Amino acid sequence: MTGQPKTDPARRVVITGAGAISSIGVGTAEFLAGLRAGRRGAGPITAFDTTGFDHANGCEVTGFEPERWIERLDPVELGPAARFAVAAARMAVADARLTPRELTAGHVLVSVGTTDGETRDLDRLVAGDTDLAVARRASPARLATSVAREFAVTDVEAMTVPTACAAGNYAIGYGFDAIRAGEADLAFCGGADAACLKTFAGFYRLGTIAPDCCRPFDVSRKGILTSEGAGMLVLESLASALARGAGIHAEVLGYGLNCDAHHPVAPLQESVADCMRLALADAGVQPREVDLVSAHGTGTQANDRTEAGAIHEVFGDRPPRTVSMKSMLGHAMGAASALAAIGCTLALEHGFIPPTVNHVETDPECGLDCVPNQAVAADLRIVQNNGLAFGGNNSVVVFGRYEGVAA
Amino acid sequence: MNPVITAWSAFSPFGAGADAFRAGIRAGVPVPGLVPGFDARAVLGKKGTRSMDRVTALSVAVTGELTTGLSTAGLVLGTTGSVQSTMDFTRSSLESERPFYVDAARFPSTVMNCAAGQCAIWHQLKGPNATVAGGRVSGLLALNYARRLQAGGRAGTLLCGAAEEYSAARAQLSQDGTVLGEGAAMLRLEPPGAHDGLADVVALEFGVHEAADAGPILLSCMRRALEKAGAKPGDIGVLATDRAADEALAELFGDHHPERLPCATLIGDTSAAAATFQILAVLTAAEDDSALAGRLALVTAVDHDGSLGCALLRLRRPAPITVSAP
Repeated sequence: MTGQPKTDPARRVVITGAGAISSIGVGTAEFLAGLRAGRRGAGPITAFDTTGFDHANGCEVTGFEPERWIERLDPVELGPAARFAVAAARMAVADARLTPRELTAGHVLVSVGTTDGETRDLDRLVAGDTDLAVARRASPARLATSVAREFAVTDVEAMTVPTACAAGNYAIGYGFDAIRAGEADLAFCGGADAACLKTFAGFYRLGTIAPDCCRPFDVSRKGILTSEGAGMLVLESLASALARGAGIHAEVLGYGLNCDAHHPVAPLQESVADCMRLALADAGVQPREVDLVSAHGTGTQANDRTEAGAIHEVFGDRPPRTVSMKSMLGHAMGAASALAAIGCTLALEHGFIPPTVNHVETDPECGLDCVPNQAVAADLRIVQNNGLAFGGNNSVVVFGRYEGVAA
Repeated sequence: MNPVITAWSAFSPFGAGADAFRAGIRAGVPVPGLVPGFDARAVLGKKGTRSMDRVTALSVAVTGELTTGLSTAGLVLGTTGSVQSTMDFTRSSLESERPFYVDAARFPSTVMNCAAGQCAIWHQLKGPNATVAGGRVSGLLALNYARRLQAGGRAGTLLCGAAEEYSAARAQLSQDGTVLGEGAAMLRLEPPGAHDGLADVVALEFGVHEAADAGPILLSCMRRALEKAGAKPGDIGVLATDRAADEALAELFGDHHPERLPCATLIGDTSAAAATFQILAVLTAAEDDSALAGRLALVTAVDHDGSLGCALLRLRRPAPITVSAP
């Protein structure tokens, strides 16, 4: 894109910080432990009244104390999704060992993906809550601007990216382009969502909420479990990371994005395959070099069949092992592909594959090795993270193991 | 390496289409509120519009004005979708006999990328398709997103705009008691190097502010933009800004007083669409004043939720109208 070789450290984009808030663990260390253990985040929903639903399991974040992480802003001024985003960004910055001076020294980009913004707050307003603070904090734009305000950075492009369930990947892709072009020195990218009645009722009506648990690629899969959380990454150029002696989790090799232009909610196989090809081409990677696919893998009949078909289109008869972290995490909406991206990063760094849990019998129509139930050790070099969304918005990000010696 | 704006259109409180917008800006008579007579079924037909909300219909309609001759293109849309659709959906869950007796066909409208996705479906736009949200700065953020897609070789021609709908739910959430407007404004953006066009997108700069310090941060933004353009405040011939920028503009310009165009005072607070409408106001002024050709136009936006930003456009001499021989 820039005419620069991809070996130029100023044009290579690395991940130096990660912050995860999920139903299987709050904090990146807990999230990693959860992925390794195949922890399940499912349980009865408590975020809203589920009276009248025949079944109402979800994957909620428990034990999250915003004031433990958020330093500068008052959590009361933040909606629940912004609290997740800001706290995860704090975790990522601590992980990246960025000093206040480094945070404000250059141009910063903040991109936060979301499906629902602060819809949990909107649900409250509809139910008759008259708290003015709730109305004031309702704008989804605040997901991104709150992250910037928490760090007191002012020379910053702060963008909320509401491209639904692929939004985390969109946000990471945007940060990648800004760093690669030398237009930002640091990028805080990821996604956040808080579980809400609106989305649960909608998916329930569509018949896509599983009664008990999420079983991606299983012959008896029955759908998603809605969940919540946030994943935030710190991206910077390799040159910048080396100059400040930062630890490097992994490298972002490239990404792709496209649009089905076909159906408001159903993904289109050929277009999903095209998006993977775009991402691999952008990363300069051949399909045979991919060691692991982190699937969108919602666990609905239609998604998994379509996505598996697209994977076979791109990778042929023997695709790489393909896992769905949603089996553990539930579907965290705008946070989903961001959390999965952190999962990919951790898998590369720690040499393991997170499992697809709740798995009994692989659907022959999917025909994938989904690493059932138990994490396995694996020497991974290149991992691909899929994100598909309502509106036919697809985005796929490719990560590589960082081979250099971290300081 | 600046992308080039080559065409535009709008559905605004002045009416449907670019000509209605031009005429309204020229007349200068405030008409804040709804896009007059706009109805999804009337404008787009009965097929596929039963469950379409207003912001989606406005977006689909304005996109259709610019897709002639485009086979592959992408779309970047600044919007926060329809908060009315979202809140109505929740209400239907709360008020129905069972909480899942909701209209499944209306569920897609409750996510913010519905409008961009529908634009793609209606007009077969299979390129990159993104939705960005930044309050009143959304249109400038969308333009920067589009610029980066092109600079990265990810897109050729892009449609880039913003949309907002007038609704009771929006009024309920409105914080500053402004008179609401609505509409959708769309630019056609060609990658750097396009020969014919209306304006070059020279610089886009952004910041995040607390309520008290918007002025200095916007000033710093505008200075960075001028530096990127290699220009001085005196090179700016025309402005479209809102009142939140007054203090910073006074400091930037001193005794220089470029023409300042009204926009929100005419069409109302169009929130997510505001900045793109300001760009259209600038392009309209350039059509009317050939002395602006070659000069810079400044557009600024400040949002109460923390975002701010500015754009510098270099206005081109409008192409002479050519009449082709039969």
